[in-house]
Amino acid sequence: MKTKTESKKKTLNDYWSSYSTIVILVLMVAVFSALKPKAFLSTNNYVKIIEQSSITILLACGEFFGIILGGIDLSVSSVMALSGVVCAKLMVAGWPPVLAVLVGIILFGAVVGAINGLLINVTKLPPFIITLGTQSIFRGITYILSDARSVSGISTGFTKLVGGKIGGVVPMPIVISLVVALILIFFTMKTRAGRNIYALGGNSTSAYFAGITTNRHQLLCFVIAGICASLAGMVNIARLGSAEPNAGTGYETYAIAAVIIGGTSFFGGQGVIWKVVIGGLIIGVINNGLNMVGLSSYYQQIAMGVLIILAVTLDRFFGASKNK
Amino acid sequence: MISLVEMRNITKKFPGVTALSGVNFDVQPGEVHILLGENGAGKSTLMKMLSGAYEPTEGVMVANGKEFPRFTPRISQENGISIIYQELSVINEISIQENIFVGKLLTKSFAGMKTIDNKAMKQRTIEVLNEIGLKRSPNTPVEQLSISEKQMVEIAKAVAFDAKVIIMDEPTSSLTREEINQLFEIIERLKKQDKGIVFISHKLEEVLAIGDRVSVLKDGQYMGTYPISEMDEDKLVKLMVGREIKGTYLQDPEKDYGNEVIFEVNNLTRKDKYVEDISFKLKKGEILGFSGLVGAGRTELMEAIYGAAPVSSGEITLYGEKLHIKQPHDALKSGIALVTENRRETGFAPFFSIKHNLIQAKYLKESKFGGITGLISPKMEEVVSKEQRKAMQIKCYSINQIITELSGGNQQKVILGRWMASSPRLIIFDEPTKGIDVGTKSEIYKLMRKLAEDGIGVLVVSSELPELLSTCDRIIVFNGGKSRGEFLSTEAGEEELVLAATTS
Repeated sequence: MKTKTESKKKTLNDYWSSYSTIVILVLMVAVFSALKPKAFLSTNNYVKIIEQSSITILLACGEFFGIILGGIDLSVSSVMALSGVVCAKLMVAGWPPVLAVLVGIILFGAVVGAINGLLINVTKLPPFIITLGTQSIFRGITYILSDARSVSGISTGFTKLVGGKIGGVVPMPIVISLVVALILIFFTMKTRAGRNIYALGGNSTSAYFAGITTNRHQLLCFVIAGICASLAGMVNIARLGSAEPNAGTGYETYAIAAVIIGGTSFFGGQGVIWKVVIGGLIIGVINNGLNMVGLSSYYQQIAMGVLIILAVTLDRFFGASKNK
Repeated sequence: MISLVEMRNITKKFPGVTALSGVNFDVQPGEVHILLGENGAGKSTLMKMLSGAYEPTEGVMVANGKEFPRFTPRISQENGISIIYQELSVINEISIQENIFVGKLLTKSFAGMKTIDNKAMKQRTIEVLNEIGLKRSPNTPVEQLSISEKQMVEIAKAVAFDAKVIIMDEPTSSLTREEINQLFEIIERLKKQDKGIVFISHKLEEVLAIGDRVSVLKDGQYMGTYPISEMDEDKLVKLMVGREIKGTYLQDPEKDYGNEVIFEVNNLTRKDKYVEDISFKLKKGEILGFSGLVGAGRTELMEAIYGAAPVSSGEITLYGEKLHIKQPHDALKSGIALVTENRRETGFAPFFSIKHNLIQAKYLKESKFGGITGLISPKMEEVVSKEQRKAMQIKCYSINQIITELSGGNQQKVILGRWMASSPRLIIFDEPTKGIDVGTKSEIYKLMRKLAEDGIGVLVVSSELPELLSTCDRIIVFNGGKSRGEFLSTEAGEEELVLAATTS
């Protein structure tokens, strides 16, 4: 019984479960590079893909915390629009951009996320139900606040900084989403709260009996989701130059897709942020690549749907044989 | 006589571990063949080869005289092998009849179509229920049945489809004494019908009472097969663990623990009234046991102390400090640990490694704001988990193994180690040896005694009277959510305790 083979030989399955998302990304890039070498294979295009993916990545990083609990957050897209409109309104009203951004994020990101978390804690209803409700509520508030019109007149200093490029090369949205991803990678891998969240997602009852403050950690997860969504809102209004009340409609699907393609278990407790980032990039590559090939966005939707089902099926197939 | 099934010279290797080596096992018609061994000895692995879930690395499988390199689930089924697992697989929402025929509905031809033959199924169900002596109507929903009756439904399921070999994995672990006697009667009946029974159990008296032959496994090694008539408890234990566990009575009847009370509960009542007006004191150095039937309020009391259930009135004092516990986290912070009855549901973190499970409580106790502050310390994790692995004698090939890969006894040790790493002042054990083998049991008893000697409070809830009598100094008997008396375990007899637990 006490044979000491600490380093078990890795099987194909182990490699697959570790690197499946990267393999998918590389395959996608390879396919599009072969189809449209000139347009697709350029540094400019790569930068563009990552920039276009940055909002998906930000939303997905937040969505991850809903799904890791074995739940979901359907309200991220509405929170994105709401905090965008609030932030724009504040700037138009003459607030300094820094203050507007801080208030936009902290008030309408963290607090809105906390509302989700508190509602779930108090009602004990599934996150799906609560966030389905708040998705609609937050979107409604966004329309009322903005009179259902786009809010323009945002300070150009803000749009140039947040929507622009550092040194004319690296787009700021990329920097923001990567910094957020890095902070969250650190949070999930290196902090005790992060560890507790995995335990909570794996089995909430045993986590409770082990002494984890389940309500508090759940709240924390939804606050993070809210902050990420409002950051996505900032980036979005900076790129567009105005705040649209219907911004991000349906984006929660992209966010959930990125998390799932990134190998996160839909039942909670298993998953990592860096793969979610790759998942977001994969969606960006599909959209960009199909565009280049000349297919409409309707085909992009089909492709994304196929990929979600395929990625999870492959995970199941390889993951399942591991348990036998 | 031809064996119903036979396994010759079976070896099973997993990466890094040889789970079984050179095991011979066969089942004759009309016998009860006991499979005995500690947790992790390889009993489940062996049975999984009979059911077709595992392939032997070496060896031959034989069914009805035909040799196979391995059984598939199909071969297993065709040869009438049926397993009744410890965790019953009946479906609560449907009736007994539907449970028996689930997935194998009987059909008849009606107007040229295949339709369900309810009449034939009802007929067969009545026959089978009569055969095994379960006095229930076939239409009774299974959720209305007791655990032992549910088990009988599982047996009925096997009998209904002419199972020749019925494997029972620790069938008595959640049964009362009376129900065990009933089960034994059923087994006797099945024997008369020339069925072969494989009976897996840790309880030696049962093994001796019901078995015809016994095969013993120890750490994956085959220790031989013997007629029960040549065996007694001591011999069996010796084969199982290679050492004699005699006189596990660890308490000293002469010992005077003085008057230092370390833990005190006064007039505790739960909001839902599952526990009413409970008071007791725990002196330094002693172990206090809680006896009673399942549902008498023992587990419910411990949940209330631990903050997992709301309390309406009462006081809890630990080392002179009045505690206000609203949730398990508060209990953990005050130094109270609860080793729960269900390891899988309320015990460990399922996707975590042994190491990450071991460090959990220490992290939570040392963090602030409800355990959310602080960073991971890989170095401390390594040190603490190696320490606990050694102290608890956890059998594993790496502390980075996922906890679900371990046997039940080793999982229990990990949970204990997790609490020990957080330096608790009071540990509550709820059925600490449920589903755990004799060897690990005595290790856990010794550990409890040592904890008490070191000044840590120990409370034990158990349904096994010998366990309480041999480990505790005093025993409080519960009945209907209330305390029905307190006994010194060196003076009390089993009969006295049972009487207090069953009469009001």
